[in-house]
Amino acid sequence: MKRKIVSVILAVSMCTALLAGCGSKSSDGVLGEMEAPEEGTESGDFELDNINIIVDGTLTATVENGQDAFVEQWESAIAEKLGHEVKLNITQLDHSDYSGTVSRTLTTGAPGDEGYPDALIMSATMLRQYQTTGLLWNLKDAYDNAEFQSRLQYPEVNENMETSDGALYGFAPTYGNGCVTYIKQSWLDKAGMKAEDIKTFDDYYDFLKKVSDGKTYGVIAAGYGKVDETPYINYMPEWWQGAYPSFYEKDGAWVDGFTEQATVDALARLNKGYKDGVIDPDTEEAGTKQAREKFFSNDQSTSEGVFTYWAGTWLRTLTDNMAKNDVDNDLGDERLVQLEPIQEIKDTWGGYLNREAPVWVITDDGDGNDAREQAIFDTLFETMLDGDRVQTLWTYGAEGVHWSTEAESFTTNPDDPEKKQDYDYEDGEFHLRPTPNDPNTIWKKNHLDPVLVISPLTNGFTDTDPLIEEGNKFFLANCVDAPAAASSETLTEYLEDLTTVKTTLINQAVVGEITPEEAVEEYKAEFGDISAQIIDELSAE
Amino acid sequence: MSIFGKKPVETLSNGSQVNQKSLKMRIWNNRGFYLMFLPVAIFVLLVYYWPMLGIRYAFYSYKLKNIHWVGMGNFVKLFSEPDFWQSFTNTLELSIIKLLLNTFAAVLISVFLNEMKNMFMKKTIQTIIYLPHFMSYAVVAAIFTLFLSPSSTGFVNETMKEWGFLSSSIDFLHSKSLWRPIFYLINMWKETGWGTVIFLATLSGINPELYEAADIDGATRLQKIMHVTLPALSNTIIVVLILNMAKVLNMFEPVFVLYNSRVYDVSDVISTYVYRKTFLTAIPDYGYSTAVGLFKSVVGCILMLICNQASKKVRGRGIM
Repeated sequence: MKRKIVSVILAVSMCTALLAGCGSKSSDGVLGEMEAPEEGTESGDFELDNINIIVDGTLTATVENGQDAFVEQWESAIAEKLGHEVKLNITQLDHSDYSGTVSRTLTTGAPGDEGYPDALIMSATMLRQYQTTGLLWNLKDAYDNAEFQSRLQYPEVNENMETSDGALYGFAPTYGNGCVTYIKQSWLDKAGMKAEDIKTFDDYYDFLKKVSDGKTYGVIAAGYGKVDETPYINYMPEWWQGAYPSFYEKDGAWVDGFTEQATVDALARLNKGYKDGVIDPDTEEAGTKQAREKFFSNDQSTSEGVFTYWAGTWLRTLTDNMAKNDVDNDLGDERLVQLEPIQEIKDTWGGYLNREAPVWVITDDGDGNDAREQAIFDTLFETMLDGDRVQTLWTYGAEGVHWSTEAESFTTNPDDPEKKQDYDYEDGEFHLRPTPNDPNTIWKKNHLDPVLVISPLTNGFTDTDPLIEEGNKFFLANCVDAPAAASSETLTEYLEDLTTVKTTLINQAVVGEITPEEAVEEYKAEFGDISAQIIDELSAE
Repeated sequence: MSIFGKKPVETLSNGSQVNQKSLKMRIWNNRGFYLMFLPVAIFVLLVYYWPMLGIRYAFYSYKLKNIHWVGMGNFVKLFSEPDFWQSFTNTLELSIIKLLLNTFAAVLISVFLNEMKNMFMKKTIQTIIYLPHFMSYAVVAAIFTLFLSPSSTGFVNETMKEWGFLSSSIDFLHSKSLWRPIFYLINMWKETGWGTVIFLATLSGINPELYEAADIDGATRLQKIMHVTLPALSNTIIVVLILNMAKVLNMFEPVFVLYNSRVYDVSDVISTYVYRKTFLTAIPDYGYSTAVGLFKSVVGCILMLICNQASKKVRGRGIM
C-alpha cells in the first residue's frame, strides 16, 4: 500500500512538472527572457566595484604563473587611476572546451550572478555567432571615444569587425597573427638543401620526400584541415594553397569553399602526401599540443622536419623546447628556419593568412542603460591600452614577478653547463624574469603581444628578444588578412554538423577511403541545400 | 476507501474481519522512524526528482536566453535524423555484444581459475587481471591509441612490419571494419577480470559433495565443468546479464575516448551524439538535447521493466 502511495506521489509530481512546463509559457512564448529595456540613461554614473572576466589560455599569467600578483597589481593600478577600488575576478577556461563553457555560462546565468562574465574573450567566429543574440553590448561609441584612439597604429583591426549597420560588439586589442612554416635547419642540412631552395610546392614536396624514411616524416600538423577553427587551412598552408573549405567572400560574392575545385585539388595533394609517407599519420588525430611535442621531441628518429605554427613568440617557444630536449644544441637559436610562402600561396592568397583577431566583449544586461557597460569598458578596455602601467601588466605581467627594472642577476639551467645562461641587469633596465613555474625559461609575455598590439606602450618597456622580433617581422612581411568569418542563422544551427561531415570527408579523402571528388560530391548531396541556404542568408546581409 | 479518516478493515484468511489502525495513526505511532527518514526523503526529492523538472525543456527550443514552446517539434526533428537512429542502433549493438562477450570471458576465466590448484598462481593471475579495471578509460584509450598508431611510434604496426607480417601500417582505430573488434577487445581486457569476482564467489559456494559424487561416477574434469560447475553458475550468469541489460543505453566513456569522425557510422552512440549536439555546438539547443535524453530514459525504463519481469521469472523476484 505504502509503495503504491509513494508511486502515486512520484507519478503526480512528474506529471505536475510536465504540466507546469507546458502551462508556464508566457504570452509571447518566451520563457526566462530578460526584463524589458528601460529608457537609456547617462553613462558614467555607475561605479563598478567588481568585474568578472572569462579568459582563455592567452592570459599566460595563469594561477600557477603569478596570476595573484597580476590581479593584485591590476587592482592597485585601477584604484589609483579611477579613484575607487575594483575587484578583478578571473575565470580561466581550458582551450579545448572554451566556446562550450562560455555558451553554458551565458545560457544559465545573468549579469550580476556570481560567475557570469562582465567581459570575456571570444574568437572572431564566436563573435559573429553571438553579436546578433542581444547578449553583447554595442561598444562602438565607447571605442570611438576611447583615449587610446590617438595612439592607434592598426585602426583597421577593429573597423573590420563592424557590422553592416555600424555596430561594434567586440574589441580587439591586438591584430590576429597567423602561422608560418618552420623547418628544422638540421633536416635541411641532411637533405642538402637550403630554405631559399624551396620556392614552389614541388620544391617543398621534394624536401619532404628526402627527409621521410618510414620512421621519420616530412610534416605534422594538428589535423589535415582544422575546419572548426578559422582560418581552417593555416596549419597546412602548402597543401591547401588557394583552397578554403568553408564559406567566404570571393570577388564580392559568398561561396562555399568546400565545393570548389581548389578543395578537390588540395585533398588530392594531401592524399598523395599521405600515400607517399611524407605526412605523419598522427596528423589526423593530433591536437596542437601533441603535434608540437612530437615535433620537438627528444626522440627525433620518429619526428618530423616541418611544422607550421604561430609566428613570433612561438618561434622562441619552439626553439626553447627543442633546446630543453637537447635537439640540435649546436645550432642554438638557428635551429628553426622560417619558410617564405611558396609560390602557389603567393599566387592565390598572397601570403600566410593573418587570422581575424580574437576580441574582448562586454555582456549587455539588457536594461537599456549603458552605464554599467560603459563602466566596464572604461575600467577594463580603456586601461588595457593606457600605454603605461596597466598595459604593461597585460603585456608583460606583474612587476617583480614576471619583469623588473631593478638591478639583478640570475642564471637559468644552473646545473647544466651546456645550457647554463647568466643574466645581469642594471638598475632601471627593463627585463623579463624567469617564468614562475619554470625558472629555467625566461618569461615571454602575458596577454598582449607587444608587437601585435593596436596601440603601443609609451613607457619604453620593450622585450628585446631578437628571435621573437625576427619572427614577428617575418610574419608581417609575408602575411595577408584571412577572409572574414561567415555568420548566419542557418550556419550557426548546422555548424557542428558541417564541421563533423567536413572533417570526416577530409580524413577519408586523405587516407584514400574515398576520392577527393567523391568527398565533395558526398558533401553536396548531404548538405547542398543547407549550403545554398547559408549562402542566400550571407548574401542577403 | 479513504486513506486517512476511516479505519480500514482487513479480512483474515479464516474470513473474520479485524479493524486496522488508520494510516494517520500508524504514521503517528511510528513518527520517530518517519522523522529519521525525512532527511533521506528530502535529499532524494531534491537531488533526484527536482532536476526532473527540466524534462519540460524537451518541449521547448532553448538557445541561450531564447526559450520558446515547440511542442513535439524536438521529437519530430529527432526521429527524422538519420544520425540519431544510427547512434541508437549502435548503442544497442555495442552494448549488448560487449555485455555478452565480457560475461562469456568472465565465466570462462572464472572456471579456469576455479580449476587452478596452485593458490599462489591463482591469486597472482587474479590480481593481474583485476588491475585494468582500476585504470580510467582515458588512460586506457591513450595507451591503446599509442600502441595501435599507424605512425612510426605505433608499437603494434612497427613490430608486425619488423617481423614481416605487414608491409604497410594498419590504421586500426580509424578502420570501420576493425574499430568494433578493437573496442570489444579493449573492453574485455579492461573489465573481464573484475567481472570474474561475482562468478568466483558463486563457484566457491558450490557444494564439494557434488564434485565428489561426480568423481565417484568417473566424470572427467571437462564433464565436471559441463555438468556441475556451469549449471551452478547459470543462475548467476542470467542475473548478471539481466542486471546489466537494464543499463545498456548508458554507454559513453568507453566509446567517447576511442571513437573518431571516420568511424562514426559504427561507433557513435546516443550519449556521444548528445554530447556533440550539446557541447560541440556553438550555440546549442538544450531543448533538443533534453528531448534525446528523455527518449533515452523512456527506452531505458522499458528495458528496465522487461528485465524486471525476466528477473521475476528466473529468480522469483524482481530487481526493483
